[in-house]
Amino acid sequence: MNRIRTLTALATLCLMGAASAQQAPAEEPGWAKGRPKTDTAMKMAPVPAFPIPTAVDQLPVNKFKLPPGFKAEVWASGVLDARGLRQGPDNNIIVSTLFVGNKVYRIPETGKREAVVIIDKMPMAAGIEYHNGSLFVATNTQILRWDNVDGKLDSLGQGKVIYDKLPGGGDHSWKYLRVKNDRLYYEVGAPCNICDPGEWAKLYSIKLDGTDLQVMASGVRNTVGFDFDPKDGTIWFTDNGRDWFSEELPNDELNHITEPGKQHFGFPYCHQGNIPDSEFGWGKSCDDYAKPAALLGPHAGSLGLKFYTGKMFPEKYQGAMFIARHGPWNRTIKYADIQVAWPDGKGGARVEPFMTGFVENNNYLGRPVDFLVMKDGSLLVSDDHAGAIYRISYGN
Amino acid sequence: MGGHRRGLAFGTTALASAVLGCAAFAQQPTGPGAAPPGGDAASSPTGAASSPAATVGQRYAERFATVCAACHGANGRSDVPGTPVLAGQPSFYVITQLFLFREGRRDNEAMTAVAKGFTDNDLRGYSEYIGTLPPVPAPAPATPPDAVRMRQGLALAQQHKCFFCHGADLSGGQQVPRIAQQREEYLRASLQGFRTGTRPGYTQAMIGAVSQIPEQDLDTLAYFAANFTGPAAPPGK
Repeated sequence: MNRIRTLTALATLCLMGAASAQQAPAEEPGWAKGRPKTDTAMKMAPVPAFPIPTAVDQLPVNKFKLPPGFKAEVWASGVLDARGLRQGPDNNIIVSTLFVGNKVYRIPETGKREAVVIIDKMPMAAGIEYHNGSLFVATNTQILRWDNVDGKLDSLGQGKVIYDKLPGGGDHSWKYLRVKNDRLYYEVGAPCNICDPGEWAKLYSIKLDGTDLQVMASGVRNTVGFDFDPKDGTIWFTDNGRDWFSEELPNDELNHITEPGKQHFGFPYCHQGNIPDSEFGWGKSCDDYAKPAALLGPHAGSLGLKFYTGKMFPEKYQGAMFIARHGPWNRTIKYADIQVAWPDGKGGARVEPFMTGFVENNNYLGRPVDFLVMKDGSLLVSDDHAGAIYRISYGN
Repeated sequence: MGGHRRGLAFGTTALASAVLGCAAFAQQPTGPGAAPPGGDAASSPTGAASSPAATVGQRYAERFATVCAACHGANGRSDVPGTPVLAGQPSFYVITQLFLFREGRRDNEAMTAVAKGFTDNDLRGYSEYIGTLPPVPAPAPATPPDAVRMRQGLALAQQHKCFFCHGADLSGGQQVPRIAQQREEYLRASLQGFRTGTRPGYTQAMIGAVSQIPEQDLDTLAYFAANFTGPAAPPGK
């Protein structure tokens, strides 16, 4: 209530308006819940992606810094709003989009690597997966499936809706998909910055026909990146921490599911394993929730996560996971990069920077989103800010 | 993420210097769109006779004069009913709308016809040029605005948090448009379009903001913004 009173008072003062609102003020959007009413914080809000990809000769590849022996190059440009990356059939990479594109593309791996639209006019078609001839696409409201798509990506027609009980909305409602052992994994994030998420804020799996819904993990504010450790099949996922707590806290989390369906990772009660929420944390103990395996930085926007399964990179990186930090919108100092993490075998993970150079003068030149390990072992990285895909390779 | 922006700039000179609205702060207007003009060379497919030496800005000033000015006004203040004022609009807002027209997502035959042939560089060139047009006040009305209606409009604008994104002076910023002194019938149509879902935004912000507001209140808001001449300085400062 204080917040509302303050806002009303400010607006009234600003305008010297004598009128007073008779009705209650409109609800704030979910992302603004909990935002401090300071000038600095009030200036911060999510920034939509630019509607034009960066021209190929202005992509920041020459700014990128990588460990010795690694090289980054432009693999595809002009890919508006490039988000999710998955291996498709017939030597195609499938690329999803989020707020701007409303599309799913394929990009041929050979020849002219230009994006070809295979699904159009589908808002928030961010979740994609390809498995055994079937293409899965998830929006914020439903999951669709197309069968026998090999050789037919350019004439997909209508997909079959296999699940339509997703909550929709704009906050943390977009999807990230993976298939493992004939189950499709996806998340439903919290419908807000900080709130009681009700039945949401979980990672789920369903059979490939959309039945047999199971909870994989609870208390997950928003994961937009998870993968299965090739060694033991367990899930590791990134989770975006709450906003507006402070500039430096809490951190995003790297989490590990060791007991599927039984672990609660803390949201909205406990952040980064050791900070009770200032509102929802009363009467709760962080010790009652699963601890993060590692912390990934404040407001980092930790998105895609992929275990490296190729052979091109040095042995050190085999079995490591790559993590895309998209970068904060609600933090004064911006950062964005690619991190690499190794399970330490003791429930935690060791994390170090892998690729930097996405930020110059506190402005984003690019923002990494998701990964794909190519057949030759090189690593593709999508960048929705610049509308590009980079290829990271090692050696010659 | 969502895609609104807000900012209640509050203070003495800050108010006069316009608040940049909710919008303008979180990022500098660099983004991929602010690419240096060098990359644009000679890529415009149509257009205005332009000497090779002309800068990108000059080229799009010429193209604005031939392509846009007839409806939107040479200085960007339209006197054509239904056609919005472009003067003082932030370039990020302009490019998002040109993009929506080009893709056929924002429904306007005339604008889609114009934008259909635009390249990415055209979108950038037009929006950057339009972003340089200074605001032009509306012609003085024959009679002063209705004080009661303006008071109602102010209360509604506060209630529905218009100032948080559009700024205390409603000048917009970044992807948020200037609505102060915009044409009333255009504002009314826009608000009704957001309310009924016929006008998609670049983000969902406006649809969420106005979907529950009764139609007559939207008319009052349009009247208020069209006649809004800026906040007075707070008392005692």
